[in-house]
Amino acid sequence: MLALEGITKYYKEIKAVDGVSFTVRQGEFLGLVGPNGSGKSTLMRIMLGIAKPTAGQVLFNGQPLDEATWRELRRRIGYMPERVSFYENLTGMETLRLFAKVKKSKVDKTVERMLPRDVLERKVGSYSKGMRQRLNLIQALLAEPEILILDEPTSGLDPMAIAEFYRILDEIRQERLLTVILSSHILAEVEGRADRVAIMKDGNLKAIGSLRSLYRQLELPLKVFITLKNKDPLLEQLLNLEGATGLTYRNGYLIADVPSGNKLKVLSSLMEQKERFEDISITEPSLEEVFFGIN
Amino acid sequence: MALTEASRAIAWKELLDKLRNRWVIIVGLTFMLFTLSIAYLGAAPAGLTGFRRIDITVASLTSLVTFFIPLMSLTLGGGIIADERERGTLDIFLASPVSAMEFIAGKFSGLLISLAIALVAGLGLAGGMLAMKSGMETFWVFARFVFNSLVLGIIFLSISFFISIAFYERTKVIALNVFLWLFYTILYDLGLIGVVLLTKGEIGVNFFSALLLLNPVDVYRLLNFISIGEFKIIVGLASVEFSGYINTPLLLLTALFWTLIPLGFGYLLFKKRYYE
Repeated sequence: MLALEGITKYYKEIKAVDGVSFTVRQGEFLGLVGPNGSGKSTLMRIMLGIAKPTAGQVLFNGQPLDEATWRELRRRIGYMPERVSFYENLTGMETLRLFAKVKKSKVDKTVERMLPRDVLERKVGSYSKGMRQRLNLIQALLAEPEILILDEPTSGLDPMAIAEFYRILDEIRQERLLTVILSSHILAEVEGRADRVAIMKDGNLKAIGSLRSLYRQLELPLKVFITLKNKDPLLEQLLNLEGATGLTYRNGYLIADVPSGNKLKVLSSLMEQKERFEDISITEPSLEEVFFGIN
Repeated sequence: MALTEASRAIAWKELLDKLRNRWVIIVGLTFMLFTLSIAYLGAAPAGLTGFRRIDITVASLTSLVTFFIPLMSLTLGGGIIADERERGTLDIFLASPVSAMEFIAGKFSGLLISLAIALVAGLGLAGGMLAMKSGMETFWVFARFVFNSLVLGIIFLSISFFISIAFYERTKVIALNVFLWLFYTILYDLGLIGVVLLTKGEIGVNFFSALLLLNPVDVYRLLNFISIGEFKIIVGLASVEFSGYINTPLLLLTALFWTLIPLGFGYLLFKKRYYE
């Protein structure tokens, strides 16, 4: 749907993005993760045509974009920039009407699902950060975009507001086919939500794929948590787990590192000694482990 | 050229913002107080009070407005890009299908309307009061003064747009605006006086008049002096005899030039920077 080909961006002498290429598929949720200054926002601005790449090109449905096609694409993209304070003297509804007209669209009643009417009729100057972010999301959703680009959407929000934000986003995604590109440096937010993750470091795309494919590429082990019947740490010596690459004891658990290819071997070994433990659970590597596993 | 719906929405937002932050009311009231004070108390140093002749009032107001309107317009337009950047809303505009022309036209129209309301309401109300005292003839002289003041405001609004787009960092914009204000209201004319003195007055009326057209503030002064037709009472550079080719249509054409050139360059720069 949207493809980046060899995107490089310099700001004077500083290379912000270095030869990044990937494709965003229709309807997918792509998480763009990386530390601050890794080039995520620049990449998003290039996708929107706000920043021009020094080299490379953006393609939409296989076609390179020019000035006319950018305008067409912008009709189909909703953008939620990081940190928008809006206009203190305008009400939420006036703000939405402004951006709706700019996007050649209208504000419909569905916006009241995300911000109640009485809040929308108040001046934005009285809004909390969470309300402003919701207003920001609503403006991005005006004109029913096909692609939603969210730049650090929960930056600075409290956990309640973050949960509320994702509840709304998930609800909207259930209702219609929406391609979402979300950047964040909070890995836990992207994990479990994104179909694929693109990992950026120092302006480079280090890896892209589903979380599972990434940890397989990196050969990161699964974690098998074994709750022992007898809490004696010496018991770990009694367990002979063929295929496990490491065993540690913590708070009554044995934690075994198991390469994904050895999963069945380890499980069958455990089954042979099932009288020694109460329970087992298997955890896949987290996005954080994948992130730190990538150089 | 009619504004598109997007431009009208941007213009409306600017106007609403200036109305709600009381900019329009404060500026309007300031102008009204200036006008009434000068009209009533202008002769106080001579021990007289009471409403003076309208031409004398306009001449005095011209001197005051010459300083006040450029400063006000420069600050009004100085934040068009910096403010949007700081709020984070510039990227929303740029990521929407609005064109550079629609954005600039909307911003300029909104601020122009705010300025016009403040000037026309403030000066106009005072003018109305003066007309009630001195008759309708007075009103028309004053109406031309209000119009000329609006022209001056529009010119400096246009200059401030260019500065705001060219140097979008707030501190640079403020510094440059203050410099331009000083340059056009004081330094340029001081320079001209220097030229006249150095050439011992042999610079030539035609050339001197042409130099006056290069300063929008002098264009405004000349417009007012022609309006009231009392050149002799004016103290300052424009009281110097000037060429016969200086007339209202030429001055208005020059004012149009002073409006369109900075605004046009501002638009081209904005388009190049964000849309190409």
